[in-house]
Amino acid sequence: MSAAHRASAFFLALALTIFWASTAQAKSITIDDSGSEALEPSVTMRWKTAAPSRNPADNVMLGTTTIRVRINVMPWLRHSGRIYLALPLQQPGPIGLSWTTQGRLAPGRIVSGNRVLVYAGSITAPFMEDTLTFQFSVNGALMQRAVPVTYHFEMDED
Amino acid sequence: MTPAGHGVQTSRGRLRRASVGAALLAAVSGSASSYTASLNPASPQTIYLQVGVGAFTNDYIYGGQPENNATVNSVSVTVAAAVLGNGTAQAMTTNSTATQSFWDGYTYCSVPAQLYIGGFFRTTGAATAAAQVTATVPAALTDATGDSIPFSKIQWTSSGNGDSGAEPFPAGTFVNGGVQTVGSMASNTWNESCWTFSYSNNTVPPVGTYTGVVLYTMSAP
Repeated sequence: MSAAHRASAFFLALALTIFWASTAQAKSITIDDSGSEALEPSVTMRWKTAAPSRNPADNVMLGTTTIRVRINVMPWLRHSGRIYLALPLQQPGPIGLSWTTQGRLAPGRIVSGNRVLVYAGSITAPFMEDTLTFQFSVNGALMQRAVPVTYHFEMDED
Repeated sequence: MTPAGHGVQTSRGRLRRASVGAALLAAVSGSASSYTASLNPASPQTIYLQVGVGAFTNDYIYGGQPENNATVNSVSVTVAAAVLGNGTAQAMTTNSTATQSFWDGYTYCSVPAQLYIGGFFRTTGAATAAAQVTATVPAALTDATGDSIPFSKIQWTSSGNGDSGAEPFPAGTFVNGGVQTVGSMASNTWNESCWTFSYSNNTVPPVGTYTGVVLYTMSAP
């Protein structure tokens, strides 16, 4: 093997080793929620109050949507785990999210950049389903146009 | 086998292990997903301007909503013959009864000395340029016989109970015919001032009742 081949193999091995190590340390796994379905195509954001405040910082826009959540927890079937709803930091800025549920998952509230526990216990079925009513809140000054907001469910295995 | 070659074999061993790991991860990430909701600003653009009396269903902080009010208020002064034209400005008073801000019910203006002017400009979302408030002013106040007093003889100061800082509707003097800007409203804020009018009283016009109508207009971008 030439020196060049040896060098490239070394760097490849090093790179893969680092990749392996970093993934092996991950504790939370994003859950497949491709079965979830929104009852509305988009979230209509409206001012919390029709008339504004004397203080521009008080301006908040709210929007509500209902999602039939169906998450695939088959990989953890007959195990115990903790499921979180995670709302990453993203544009257009700080986002508040609160939700109610039908009881399968826990209600809660969150600010972007955090996650909140919505289930803890045994996974007894391959899919977990609930209907969640979300309310988003955003500083209206940031809402110049439609913005996509991403959230996901993630599993921490016990 | 050289040490280097042994090293390559070790790497291949790691490569297989890593490949297995990558395949497993691909299986997980391939089925994992995030949900994306589209947030669409959809409030109607709304403006509210009140000069003198206005109408709200309730104070804003109690959920009040703006309403139309067609009342046209007046500001007037009767100049006594003894002081007519002596150069001492004569305070004008209004028939407006608007003293409280519809924002919170706070007693902001004092009547009959002050005329309330205020309102808000709501965007569909985001901040925009300020809305402008203009006055369309006739050339002069006139009486029944055609005599006139230039509108520029009337000016106003601006304040508000408990206020500090610059007024959104500052002091000014009417132009003699034309459109003049009398204030602005930053988007998504409540703005209000109390105007105190006065007549310059530095000329002696013929005796009479002189009137003129100023139209205030709010224009939002």
